[in-house]
Amino acid sequence: MKSIALTSVALLCAVLIYSTMGFPAWGDSDSPASTHVSDYYIENAVNDTAVPNLVTAVLADYRGYDTLFETTVVLIAGLACFFLLRRFKPRQPQHRLYRHIDTGITLIIEQGGKEPTDSEEFVRIDSRWVPYDLVIQQASCLVIPFLQLFALYVIAHGHHSPGGGFQGGVIFGATIILMAIANDLRSAARRVSERLGALMASAGVLIYAGIGALCILLGGSFLDYSALSKLFAFTPVMARSHGILGVEIGVAVAVSAVMIWIYYNLASAGRHEEGL
Amino acid sequence: MTSQIPALIIVVPLLVSLVVSLAAWIRQSLCYAAALCAMLVAWISAILVMGRVINQGVITYRMAGWAPPWGISWHIDHFNAIILILIATVALINLIATRSTAAREFEDRPGVFYALYLLFVTGLMGIVITGDIFNLYVLLEIASLSGYALLGMGSGRAAVSSLSYLFIGTIGASLYLFGAGYLYIATGSLNMADIAAILPTIEQTGVIQVSFILCLIGLFMKMAFFPLHTWLPNAYTHAPNSSASLIAPLTTKVMIYVMIRIVLFVYQPEFAFAEMDIDRVIVWLAVIAILAGSMLAWKQERLKRMLAYIIVAEVGYMVGGFWLGNTAGMTGAVLHILNDAMMTLCLFLAAGAVISRVQTDAFGALQGVFTKMPFSMIAFVAGALSIIGVPPTCGFFSKWYLISGGMEAGHYAFVAALIISSLVNVLLFFRVIEIGYFEPFDSHHHKNGQTVREAPLDMLVPLLVTAGLLIVMGFYANTLVTWIVKPAISAATMGGL
Repeated sequence: MKSIALTSVALLCAVLIYSTMGFPAWGDSDSPASTHVSDYYIENAVNDTAVPNLVTAVLADYRGYDTLFETTVVLIAGLACFFLLRRFKPRQPQHRLYRHIDTGITLIIEQGGKEPTDSEEFVRIDSRWVPYDLVIQQASCLVIPFLQLFALYVIAHGHHSPGGGFQGGVIFGATIILMAIANDLRSAARRVSERLGALMASAGVLIYAGIGALCILLGGSFLDYSALSKLFAFTPVMARSHGILGVEIGVAVAVSAVMIWIYYNLASAGRHEEGL
Repeated sequence: MTSQIPALIIVVPLLVSLVVSLAAWIRQSLCYAAALCAMLVAWISAILVMGRVINQGVITYRMAGWAPPWGISWHIDHFNAIILILIATVALINLIATRSTAAREFEDRPGVFYALYLLFVTGLMGIVITGDIFNLYVLLEIASLSGYALLGMGSGRAAVSSLSYLFIGTIGASLYLFGAGYLYIATGSLNMADIAAILPTIEQTGVIQVSFILCLIGLFMKMAFFPLHTWLPNAYTHAPNSSASLIAPLTTKVMIYVMIRIVLFVYQPEFAFAEMDIDRVIVWLAVIAILAGSMLAWKQERLKRMLAYIIVAEVGYMVGGFWLGNTAGMTGAVLHILNDAMMTLCLFLAAGAVISRVQTDAFGALQGVFTKMPFSMIAFVAGALSIIGVPPTCGFFSKWYLISGGMEAGHYAFVAALIISSLVNVLLFFRVIEIGYFEPFDSHHHKNGQTVREAPLDMLVPLLVTAGLLIVMGFYANTLVTWIVKPAISAATMGGL
């Protein structure tokens, strides 16, 4: 079996290497890929969309329909993790564990015992010893606000520089994941609950697809943002630019929420207890 | 405003799937109704679009208003309009038929199930409607990912089977993407019509040949063409019934559509048939696929698993018929895409009905099901006759075209394989019918004490409608061929063949 796999991989490699001989030279400005459609984008993107960043113009406008479904792929990943992993029935352990925050002592409370649920000094844990590091917790507390601010900057600056909804969304999602790793999943879920994450994930894609559908209602084609000029006092070209910002925000909301949602389900095997 | 009707086919299921995944956290009970409305709208729009294509010819829908090749555009002709109707019909019937099954199989997460269901259908329809080779890949990912999730939620080995499908499917999709990337290197374009115009004008290099082979192998993996079928039997056997009867009729058929679309409308017949000269090889592979699929089906002891191997053989029919390279063979292949989807739906729904009552689909437990579930089994027999190819069911007509295509091309091994496979199908189904009809019902086999009775009406009515459609499609096979299949093929083959 192994030899068959090895042979087919070797064969594929040989075919791919053979085919590169027909490729245009590296950086060849006369190659088909740099003469056919690319010229149009380079010459017209700013006039068409008022977006200085060509990549953003192609990604969110000329080929915005692809990007809508790329965002949907991210949402499907979140939905699939939830669908396959989530276990709603909580485990019924013999005893519950609490940690006294200041001393790090673990309390084992047998069934029927009084639990310190309303006390500020105890935190519920799921195994007898859970890594607990004050330095990491405090350091992540310091870092998270700046990371989130940077995420917003990346999202908003997609028009002018590398960045945009996907990148900014991932950075934002990572801040909540950092919180969940530095503390535990429960404390992260107190800030961003599973329900909120799931709703935001769908709502983000809905913002994108909704802007596209709005364009149909205003008389354009699907995702033809220039139709938005009928609704606001923009020129059609500026409407494209603002439409791109709108869908980038949708992408950012969806991607950040899906990151968090997937992490919750993967890290806790779908039980949403303490996590890693 | 009527120019926006094609957009509804994709936009409505997509928007509603998002609304459904929101509603899953607010009111689970709304999800089914919303999904049903979305599928109805998509189905009606698909029929309206078909009417416009017949009256006015090809529709080109420019996404975001950009002209091709700079933007993405849809290209809707007879061929994909009828496949769109097929997808919408199968998804709609299955949605209604499996309502109670889905409620049982996904008791605590029906909302997300319906969201994934709609996304899967959106993905397939997007694959079919698009005129852009990269957009096709993106929608292929949508359909595949939601398919993996839907198949993986079954009991037992479902997750493992779905994972192996994920590995093989991802390799297949990657090979397709490789091929699309090579085409972009060679032509600088992603639009199908644009590439088709550029390809004959440029100097032939190995790049285009390799891209053709990579695309084809990738699609063969996705459509489960023997011997690349290994993911299919396990994935469909262990899957939940409500998703198996959606995915089994559609995935392989849509992939065959993509193969035909890419070969005829992007690479074009002169290149694919005359220059590459691999059509004989592929027909021989199809012969092996048909025989192997039938033989493997014979060895199975469970209904769904047997049906899964029959799909493997049927894929061989369509691939072989198409690569015969003559009009009769291609007509047979396109007609068989339509027929096979409906037959597979009918059989999987019937199997689902039996499983919902008998709790298992092992042949040994099917004794006496004909007396207990007469209507479900009538539908099953209709599906079986159609797979065998008995007139007046639709399966006869497509098989007739396939056989006459084989005779015309002088490929007698393909003709022989079709006939042998039909005979094996007779044996396969009569084994089931014998157990179910002639052996008396034995309550020993049903130890949970539940009395086996006819399937509930909401399951039975769609099943009987599907069985009826098999016969209606048989009666109207000639109309289908003259009005839809012939124009679909002649559009692509005006120059060659």
